[in-house]
Amino acid sequence: MEQHTQTTETKKSEKWFDKNYKFLMLVPIMVTLLCVVYLGFFYSQNHGFILKDVSLSGGTTVTINGDIDVQKLESALSQEYQGNIVFRKLTDMRSGKVLAVVVETSVEADKIKADIEKVLGFQLTSENSSIEFTGSNLSNNFYNQLVIALLISFVLMSLVIFFLFKTFIPSIAVIFAAFSDIVMPLALIDFLGIRVSAAGIAAFLMLIGYSVDTDILLTTRAVKKREGTLNKRIFGAFKVGILMTLTALFAVLPAFFIVTGLPDSFRQIFLILAFGLVADIINTWLTNVGIIKWYCMKKGIT
Amino acid sequence: MKLHWRIWLLIIVLIICALLIAPPQLLFQKGVVIQSVEKNSTEYNQSLRSGMIITSINSMNINNVQDYNSAVSKIFTGTNESIKITITADKTNFIFFGNNQLNILVKDISKTRIKTGLDLSGGARALVKAANKTLSESEVNDLIAITNERSNGYGIKDITINSVRDLSGNNYMLIEVAGATTSDLQDLILSQGKFEGKIGNTTLFVGGKDISHVERSGQLAGIEGCSETSTAVVCSFRFPISLTEEAAQRHAAVTGNLSIDPQNPQYLSQKLDLYLDDNLMDSLLISKDLKGQVATQISIQGSGSGKDRAEAIKNAQKEMNKLQTILITGSLPYKLEIVKLDTISPTLGREFTKNLIILAVVVFVLISLVLLIRYRRIKITSAVILTMFSEAFITLGIAAAISWNLDAPSIAGIIAGMGTGVNDQIVIIDESISNMESSLKERIKNAFFIILGAFFTIIAAMLPLFWAGAGMLKGFALTTILSVSVGILITRPAFSEIIKKIMKE
Repeated sequence: MEQHTQTTETKKSEKWFDKNYKFLMLVPIMVTLLCVVYLGFFYSQNHGFILKDVSLSGGTTVTINGDIDVQKLESALSQEYQGNIVFRKLTDMRSGKVLAVVVETSVEADKIKADIEKVLGFQLTSENSSIEFTGSNLSNNFYNQLVIALLISFVLMSLVIFFLFKTFIPSIAVIFAAFSDIVMPLALIDFLGIRVSAAGIAAFLMLIGYSVDTDILLTTRAVKKREGTLNKRIFGAFKVGILMTLTALFAVLPAFFIVTGLPDSFRQIFLILAFGLVADIINTWLTNVGIIKWYCMKKGIT
Repeated sequence: MKLHWRIWLLIIVLIICALLIAPPQLLFQKGVVIQSVEKNSTEYNQSLRSGMIITSINSMNINNVQDYNSAVSKIFTGTNESIKITITADKTNFIFFGNNQLNILVKDISKTRIKTGLDLSGGARALVKAANKTLSESEVNDLIAITNERSNGYGIKDITINSVRDLSGNNYMLIEVAGATTSDLQDLILSQGKFEGKIGNTTLFVGGKDISHVERSGQLAGIEGCSETSTAVVCSFRFPISLTEEAAQRHAAVTGNLSIDPQNPQYLSQKLDLYLDDNLMDSLLISKDLKGQVATQISIQGSGSGKDRAEAIKNAQKEMNKLQTILITGSLPYKLEIVKLDTISPTLGREFTKNLIILAVVVFVLISLVLLIRYRRIKITSAVILTMFSEAFITLGIAAAISWNLDAPSIAGIIAGMGTGVNDQIVIIDESISNMESSLKERIKNAFFIILGAFFTIIAAMLPLFWAGAGMLKGFALTTILSVSVGILITRPAFSEIIKKIMKE
């Protein structure tokens, strides 16, 4: 009896899926388009696709160990630096302890160091603080190269996908999903006003590699294997793929909720990966799935 | 139990990696390792060098830094007497006399060969390029050789200098130092070290080019004497240098035209001025006997000061070393520019390292739980955990073998690699438990098509990072690629055999 209800349930959802998959497919495409428009707008406002942090725009990051009075620093320095300064606390969530205070500005290391010392009333030494300076020429160079690296990455990934499937439509579907996996987190990061570091861009590269495995799984199962019905194969792939993305999320999320006292570069990598993985769920299981189903029906692969 | 060769391969590789990460000779090694030896100290002259392992001092066994410190405080009781010291290092006895402290720095022997990067262990780092000039690869290599030579003279310890190349073909010099400050680094890099000897406006010799030999120690080189003023002590040093034939001829021509100083008839009317980076450093009187002579040997003098005699001698010694180094290596034909300069506090780095280890454990436990909930089978979950652990462990083993410094991005790569590794195993498990129409072998072959696809896309995505951004994110790319490669070549094949075994039961 139970078995019977289950089959009717499955049949019902299968029918619903057969009827609506083309519509569902459009949702992430619309979202991607919206993100692209937003990024265009963002570009016209900020002359770049991201807000760069000092590792990409040049300047100094001072990390002062321990729980420093940020308010005091902020009120003393904000006026002089006129928005050209950012303060941030690095907190370990488990103990609630402030590990360090991070100050970012585009000025040279010596100046900001002296200014902070004046406010705090003690010397910044290599024991109690870290100071990182990047010249603006180098950081511009970094940025340009990382963007080129991102493009090369994308092209290489596309070649691998074409080589793997050797058919146009399924390959394009995967590549489009990878594209959306980058565009969506990028738009979100910009929307949230997060300043992206060099490590952050590396995370986007990683995303290219990280997010396509579920798409490969889906396409392989749907197009290459001929056991069971198409819908069954897709549903099977879905069950596995979701578990894959879930475990990947479990690998990157603890850095935000459980162990937070980590280097900024490290946490940004994981934040972008997390955004990308969530984007990948809808891109793979709405868009890519739709395109593949459509393709298989046309080609008579059932 | 008969095991498939793939499982044996995994076991063997794991054992090799364990030996690479923590070699038994390190685990059972007693003593302290010498971090640095003060140049020109008695200890240095006795050939004690950094990297040697001290096992005893005056028959007291040294197992760690505490032992070392207590031994040193027992030997030197503050009486300033000369005491005979016998240090056993690398199984050799070094015997000398000392009176207040040892001029060496020691640290505990590390039990593993895993090295952490600058952002986790602390230190200073500078990325250097030539100002207004693109350096060729060979120029960068010359620059590195010169800087290495100079770093000794400048007293900077534990330095590593590498060349890095970026995507647009720029070559940089990357200097990393544990423990030094940025001002030390700036000193080392930014002083061009142009040394000139001039009489009037005529240049007699230039450091590096016109000098055939510099006497670094021995009877003629060293501290000459000290004089005290009310506030400081100044010690002067001298050392001889040999000029090339060409420079000596120039000396003869120029001094031949000089007259004898009427006020000071022992000397010639003009002095030999020594310039360092265009700053007048010293002016030497020229003896009248040298007039018109083809002099190949010249004595260079200088001084160092300090608040007491010991400090003045130390500073004079340091100055002398600097000068000698510059005279030997010569100046750089271009100005250098520091494009990136970081000092990282070791304190925060330790905190980060601790948290990264905790994070890895948390990720490990969470993923295991998810899989246990999904599959509800201890055996399958344990197989996944074992594989995940093996991948991270083998990656660390390779990092130890190639002496890779693990920085925060490298560790991010390992953890992200753990995530993809699990993904692949899920595909294998799923292919094995579902879809019973085709043979198990066939199904695992299917799984490997997907895994290979995912593998090549990750490699393709990470490859450009090796060069982009002067290699600053190389670690991330390297560990990611390593861990997925370890996965595809070693752990995944073994895992599929394990799963086959579990399925057959």
